[in-house]
Amino acid sequence: MDKSSSQRLPPLKRNWWLKHRFFKLYMLREATVLPLVFFTLCLIAGMVALLQGAESWQGWIAFMGSPIVLVLNLLALAASLFHAATFFVLFPRVMPLRIAGHSLPDQAIVAGQWAGVVAVALLFFWLFGRA
Amino acid sequence: MNTEQINAKNVSTKHISVKRYLPDSSAEPYWQQYELPVDDSTSLLDALNHIKEQLDSTLSYRWSCRMAICGSCGVMVNGIPKLGCKTFLRDYEGEIRIEPLSHFPVQRDLVVDMEIFLEHLAAVKPYLIDDNPVKAFDPQTPEPYQQSPEQLARYKQFANCINCGLCYSACPQFGLNPEFLGPAALTLAHRYNLDSRDHGKKQRMAELNRHEGVWSCTFVGFCSKVCPKHVDPAAAVNQGKVEAAKHTLIALFKG
Repeated sequence: MDKSSSQRLPPLKRNWWLKHRFFKLYMLREATVLPLVFFTLCLIAGMVALLQGAESWQGWIAFMGSPIVLVLNLLALAASLFHAATFFVLFPRVMPLRIAGHSLPDQAIVAGQWAGVVAVALLFFWLFGRA
Repeated sequence: MNTEQINAKNVSTKHISVKRYLPDSSAEPYWQQYELPVDDSTSLLDALNHIKEQLDSTLSYRWSCRMAICGSCGVMVNGIPKLGCKTFLRDYEGEIRIEPLSHFPVQRDLVVDMEIFLEHLAAVKPYLIDDNPVKAFDPQTPEPYQQSPEQLARYKQFANCINCGLCYSACPQFGLNPEFLGPAALTLAHRYNLDSRDHGKKQRMAELNRHEGVWSCTFVGFCSKVCPKHVDPAAAVNQGKVEAAKHTLIALFKG
């Protein structure tokens, strides 16, 4: 490549993603990881509390019930649903499924993934709803 | 309705701002405004031609076919990569800002240096490779390759690329690292890998599987939005990741 011409390229600024709505939505999708990290840390803390004994466990239960933690975890739920919704749409484009030489319609793959989410949610409520 | 009546419809005056860069007279680019008559059928390329012919002959830009197939007239319109011939001024209210394609060095006005794009295309060997044909090629009795409609359907969408480079201007990863092979080259590699007549996948995988190959893509997806031929390069690149992962795994077991 012609080095002299490449040197004229202005470097992309750090705020490149603020220039366009499409890039902002992309960054929002990527940022869904932040509340999910918080949720994961909560879960790890819960397991550590469980190992430490009853008192520690009760402390963790109280921590999880505090309003700010509830709000952050609701945010994590919303973030994971948003991420799922955007990811499910991308999935058939990354792994187009073919059955007997015919490609499966994208909508069928997306619907199948949501059916999986509903199945897991129902299993969850069945398991924990009885406790 | 005759041509005059059509042309008489919605005739108005529009302002377009063009980013000028004339290295002979000024080291810095500047904006220049033009005022021109437009109607419902005026494309951006028509507007640029009008400027060149009637208002300012110093303006430089590329174009050829006027029908969205040569891929020459790509420019940024209000920050979004577009083909000039496929963009109509009737769709724009207010300011229209025309710039050269992003992420490429500018040579003059709207003309960019696409050398790196062409190098990336060449790097993925975008042609049929058949090192071990069943039968040696005989020019006296040439035999066509056989391909079923199903085999064609597997890669057809990815074969519609016109090499306009709009996807490179839409790709922030290419903007951050020009060594990234980028959407069009990776799509072209995938297109030939999917072709039943081709046996060059092994050779292309070495390029695709590099950090600057498929793995630099973070699936922003804007490349597919701006593609004038609906090739969906983001899909091709990310299918390439699946192929690259499979290739690595298989190589691992083979030792």
